[in-house]
Amino acid sequence: MRTDKIVGPAARNLLFVLAILFFGLPIVWLLLAPTKTTNGLQYMPPMAFGSFQQLGISASNLFGYDNGIIWTWALNSVWYTALSLAVSLSVAVPAGYALAKLPFKGSNVVLFVTLLTMIVPSAALILPLYLEMSAFNLTNTPWSVILPLTFHPFGVYLIYLYAKASVPDSIIEAARLDGCSEFGIMMRIFVPLAWPAIAMVAFFGFVGAWNAFFLPFIMLNDQSLATLQTGLQILVSSTGAISGGNPSSVPIHAPEVALAAIVSILPILMVFLFAQRYLVAGQTAGAEKG
Amino acid sequence: MPSKLATRAKTRLRVPAGWGFVAPYLVVLIAFGIAPAVYGLYQAFSVTSPVSDPYFSLTQNFLDVLRDYRLPGASWNVAKYLLIWLPLLLVVVFVLALAMDAKRTKFAALTRFVTYVPGAVTGSSAALLWLFMSSPAVSPIGPFLKLFADKSGSFLSDQTFALLLSVMGTAAGAGGWIVVVYGALVGIPQEVIESAVLDGASAWDTVWHIKLPLIRSYIAFILIISLAQGFQLFVEPTVISAGAPGQVSRTWSINQLVYSYATDQSNYGRASALAILLLLVCVALAVLIITKTKFYSIGDR
Repeated sequence: MRTDKIVGPAARNLLFVLAILFFGLPIVWLLLAPTKTTNGLQYMPPMAFGSFQQLGISASNLFGYDNGIIWTWALNSVWYTALSLAVSLSVAVPAGYALAKLPFKGSNVVLFVTLLTMIVPSAALILPLYLEMSAFNLTNTPWSVILPLTFHPFGVYLIYLYAKASVPDSIIEAARLDGCSEFGIMMRIFVPLAWPAIAMVAFFGFVGAWNAFFLPFIMLNDQSLATLQTGLQILVSSTGAISGGNPSSVPIHAPEVALAAIVSILPILMVFLFAQRYLVAGQTAGAEKG
Repeated sequence: MPSKLATRAKTRLRVPAGWGFVAPYLVVLIAFGIAPAVYGLYQAFSVTSPVSDPYFSLTQNFLDVLRDYRLPGASWNVAKYLLIWLPLLLVVVFVLALAMDAKRTKFAALTRFVTYVPGAVTGSSAALLWLFMSSPAVSPIGPFLKLFADKSGSFLSDQTFALLLSVMGTAAGAGGWIVVVYGALVGIPQEVIESAVLDGASAWDTVWHIKLPLIRSYIAFILIISLAQGFQLFVEPTVISAGAPGQVSRTWSINQLVYSYATDQSNYGRASALAILLLLVCVALAVLIITKTKFYSIGDR
């Protein structure tokens, strides 16, 4: 009703169509690319479907590259992400809860420093982190990637905000009077109440860890330790797949690279579709970006 | 009513409990947040010299970095990127969110979902996708790109790169913000809008005088977060220049220059100095935005 008087429904729908084209077209193109040959990519209509046969060829080329090293990268991504996420959650939830509900002398300082580290560009910390890891002889090991990823100040702050705003003191006080231990109160009262916030922190932690690029890029030299994200970069730069100058006989070209990109985003898309409902509800409460 | 003594005893009990809950976090905060920050600061004052041991200097690394002939170019690149990307992002986010709020149709909901999907495609896969999108030979908008391509049929260059990154950043980032801004618009009480309409306000009036003022704190919020992201630009130019070697400088962004100091020259002092300068600019701009838009006072609403 309201805006209709000036911006008619037609104009608004046109706007939406344009938006869908802009945001959707690249994704559809990416999904179609592995079904075509390199030639097909150039000479077929951009939005045409190639063939399932060609998709199979692209897949066997990609998964056969360097004795199937992409499986190693995928496995690395999975366990680096899973372990760092598990640790960061079990660190962030008690911390955020205690900062909000069990304040102590100095808790405000911890909160302030947390906020401060949130605005420090992570890139500024990566070189000192590299030197720190190399002082402990941990560079070029999985730990050099996993350990820094366990630090997730945004998660702590989000849990803190939720505990402060949405969990009444009276419930906690009642449980305490009933003789519940402080740890029991957190596990049995707070965690069930705060699960939307915890799910959101877990999602952003997952995306952040899965997509981490700069950190593994700097810490790891061995190709066998790379994650999918850095592996993609290795794939592209060592085969010259996109620049066109691919003198080697390695059958990695644009369709294979597109497929590798799909493989690397598939877990995110799946978790995203699953978590969408909660995220949309939770984001209005002030979400983390990127 | 608990006695005074009991209350005091309880307060005393809470102190160790709170510390115990926060202790694991303190360990990672110090190890991976504070320690590297302090060490980076220390490094920035330690000058690497080819002829002698590293020595201490308050200003040497900073001056060396500021005199680097590559810095003005990289700064200008990042500035161009921010100047194109930030307005584009804000306009796309607010126009679409307001249009979706004007009439909440199914088509609007579908659009909201589609705009959200590219947000899942980030990091190096996003960079690859947009490398394809900008290659006139394979892109869906190839014929359009060919108009701007050079003799070798390539669209990508140091000049067009900021534009490509801006479009890419908008595609990846707008969807999440649309959900946030739309959520805020939905949260505006219906009575406020209705009483304005009763007083004779047109649809545009409600947008300009009611909706936008009520949600303007989000503009500052988006700006601050995006500024920090924009200054950190590293992954996209690195991956794209790996796919298109020679077309884009390897030190296109400031962060790539930091990386180049550390790896090509093993000069951690200069790398840290530049990272600190970058951080100072970032914080100064954030403070400016916060004070100019009264972001936090509105945030308490």
